[in-house]
Amino acid sequence: MTRLADIPVVMDDGGLTGSAPAVLREVAALLETLCRTGETASIDLRGLPLSLADRRWLLERLGKGEVDIALDIGGGSRIAETAYPGVWWVTHDNEQGVQVGEFIEVSYVPELLAPHPEDVENGLDSLKTRISELS
Amino acid sequence: MNEKKSGLLIDNLARQGVSRRTFLKYCATLASLMALPPTAGRAFAEALAKSHRPSVIWLSFQECTGCTESLTRSHAPTLEGLIFNSISLDYHETLQAAAGSAAEAAREAAMKENWGKYLLLVDGSVPMKDGGVYSAVGGVSNYDTLMASAKGAAAVVAIGSCASFGGLPKAQPNPTGAVPVSELVKDKPVINISGCPPIPVVMTGVLAHYLAFGTLPELDKLGRPLSFYGETIHDRCYRRPFYDQGKFAKTFDDEGARKGWCLFELGCKGPVTYNACATVKWNDGTSFPIESGHGCLGCSEPDFWDAGSFYRALSLPTTPLEKVALGAIGVGAAVGAGVALSNRAAKAKAKAAHQTATLDDLEK
Repeated sequence: MTRLADIPVVMDDGGLTGSAPAVLREVAALLETLCRTGETASIDLRGLPLSLADRRWLLERLGKGEVDIALDIGGGSRIAETAYPGVWWVTHDNEQGVQVGEFIEVSYVPELLAPHPEDVENGLDSLKTRISELS
Repeated sequence: MNEKKSGLLIDNLARQGVSRRTFLKYCATLASLMALPPTAGRAFAEALAKSHRPSVIWLSFQECTGCTESLTRSHAPTLEGLIFNSISLDYHETLQAAAGSAAEAAREAAMKENWGKYLLLVDGSVPMKDGGVYSAVGGVSNYDTLMASAKGAAAVVAIGSCASFGGLPKAQPNPTGAVPVSELVKDKPVINISGCPPIPVVMTGVLAHYLAFGTLPELDKLGRPLSFYGETIHDRCYRRPFYDQGKFAKTFDDEGARKGWCLFELGCKGPVTYNACATVKWNDGTSFPIESGHGCLGCSEPDFWDAGSFYRALSLPTTPLEKVALGAIGVGAAVGAGVALSNRAAKAKAKAAHQTATLDDLEK
């Protein structure tokens, strides 16, 4: 199927609207809260009227960190650390490769990475069973 | 024990190969869409995962089945579809295998078994003229079926603009005397999920909220979930920066259109239409009408079909929908006079040059 990105239309990037610096300041405030209280937070970028230029500006200002994780969970997801530890750029695609979510997450460990306690319990049971089969 | 009927939602999903992380990812996105704090995704997932299958009865009245198509027709299995499959859909005329008196008996049995607890989903408006004879199932009028089924429901969900506001059947001159569900059911909570059709995730979002929290989401003055209908298409539109900059496409094939400028002057109803298309999008998240180069039709608002031309700019008020626009538009009002002049000028120019694919050609 032809995707929107495949159609050769040159889009105006909209220019900077002034929203991006506000988002950057919000990220700083959320990061400060994380440092002081441990409280995590998230900004839904798709919920903001950001132009392409705004988005590019934000990405450039936040930069790249050391961690870049690709997940295959009901479509691809990517969790990339920015140049500021604790600030993560998270994108979610659906099974067709269309982006369905884009967040800036402010946390020590991105929420999606931590396994669920029930899954850990189930994993422990499976591992014990496998070990018992060794003898 | 009937596994299909008793399992927790998370177990149902696990059996269909959905991992907990996939579910958490879905819930994070859904929580965000529902204006729950994005970090509430995990709590939402926990509550939803432990929920049981509710009994759902779906009645179809004066409708086109587009609402059901919206929910069930996707290119690949989606979590919306899987959650929908996880509910106990005890009666749905289009989807059920049973027919005739057996189907009606199944509905009555499900109602009796889950009296006071089932969700009643309705798509389509209810004809009231001439004793409601214009739409009936098994000789029973839609009105009688609705009122009998609503008695034992925990809540009624009006799916689509027809059930929510009357929709196309109610369009002038409304030959069947069509009315929305909320005009008839007064003693139960009625949630309107408007749209022609409504967005699948909005339908499942309301169901998910009910499953997770046992309550209905907060509603706007038209009975729609605020989380999905709290902002206009215009508020969340990716072309909004162009509106703010005064950059408008004047025809569907001019330079502005090619650059993706705002479609306000081509009749886009985004500024007065409350829905989540701009963020949730359609066709598995591919795009929404404005992204495809066409203005919003305003299909989730009452009487959108009677609100004048889809291609007339909002700042030329002649109809109720457009009158609303006057109060809602800031910059738009300022450009209104310009739009009127622009429309006339474009029409004259088109006549002279025999151009095609213009605003006026589409209105012919």
